[in-house]
Amino acid sequence: MPARTLEAHIRHHQPRVTVIELHGEVNAFAEETLNTAYGEAEGQNPEVILLNFSDVDYINSTGIALIVSLLARARKSHRQLLSCGLSEHYVEIFNITRLADFMSVYPDETSALADAAKDTTH
Amino acid sequence: MTTPSTPSGDMQPRDATYWAQQGTNLKLSDVPAGAINLNVEGRSVVGPLQGFGKMWQKTYRVRLVDALVQPTEVIATWKENFQSFWPKGNRFYAPLTGITPGEVALLNLKTGGMPLSTGVLVLYADDESFTLMTPQGHMFAGWITFSAYVDDGATVAQAQVLMRANDPIYEMGLTMGGHKQEDKFWEHTLKSLAARFGVLAPVQIQAVCVDPKRKWAHAKNIRHNAAMRTVLSAPSRWFHRGRKQ
Repeated sequence: MPARTLEAHIRHHQPRVTVIELHGEVNAFAEETLNTAYGEAEGQNPEVILLNFSDVDYINSTGIALIVSLLARARKSHRQLLSCGLSEHYVEIFNITRLADFMSVYPDETSALADAAKDTTH
Repeated sequence: MTTPSTPSGDMQPRDATYWAQQGTNLKLSDVPAGAINLNVEGRSVVGPLQGFGKMWQKTYRVRLVDALVQPTEVIATWKENFQSFWPKGNRFYAPLTGITPGEVALLNLKTGGMPLSTGVLVLYADDESFTLMTPQGHMFAGWITFSAYVDDGATVAQAQVLMRANDPIYEMGLTMGGHKQEDKFWEHTLKSLAARFGVLAPVQIQAVCVDPKRKWAHAKNIRHNAAMRTVLSAPSRWFHRGRKQ
């Protein structure tokens, strides 16, 4: 199966939430796309950035490291980074790598946004 | 912080066999002869988010110019001979099954002249890369990914470390020469790997501070410090060795 280059699309959902929709594979070649998309999302100054992995079919260990560096950037600027749409396999990987200790993982975008809305109204 | 997930109807992902299946607590399948098995069994693995110090991404690269070698061949050679590329005085006791996902390797190292017994989990391994993850008590919390790829007509071998010092003592050590020592370690390793393919080439080093903040909430990691535990347990190991003889 040929590798799918990562593409990222940014959407505002609520004034305080920006969604980064990811399509393709998160590997060493995804660095520029991921960092550019994150920078663009961050530029809108949201409280929450949601990574939507619904259309991501492959993440390798370099990809996990890229996600960790995004998480570090988010924590540095006191933003919440959430994820949704991961397959069961990658939820397990997020647990093994202990990324899930610092990043809430939701089954889909609706539940992530509902939770984000709850958090921001408190 | 994990909410139950996930989209249903998933097929077996193509990388399922590349990742470690075991949970966060390390289990050793065997202890190679001569290895000191300390600070490994039952320890949790820790990623860079669980560490204490500044978060660094350090990349070491060597271009295997003029060597007609494919990335998969570089990685196969690296996995098979991992220990032989290390500087003298440091031992990597590979698992009997080799560098395969989920296996645990013991490390007996010298850091700043002090002995350090620890280990690593093989978190990920495919034909073009493999990743080791450290346990509690190791010098740093994080991952080292070894990979090879083709760039501008040449195969490049790379080691990339994403890490935080595990506790304040290690952070002080890294600041006071530890980073330099680590750079020398991986520089030696990559030069030795390149030499295996008949290449004499410089190693490029790039260090990026991903997060300059120290995580004081994780200062208590010091209770697992493997260097202190290795030194403190030395008299008892000598005593037991003496009794056996």
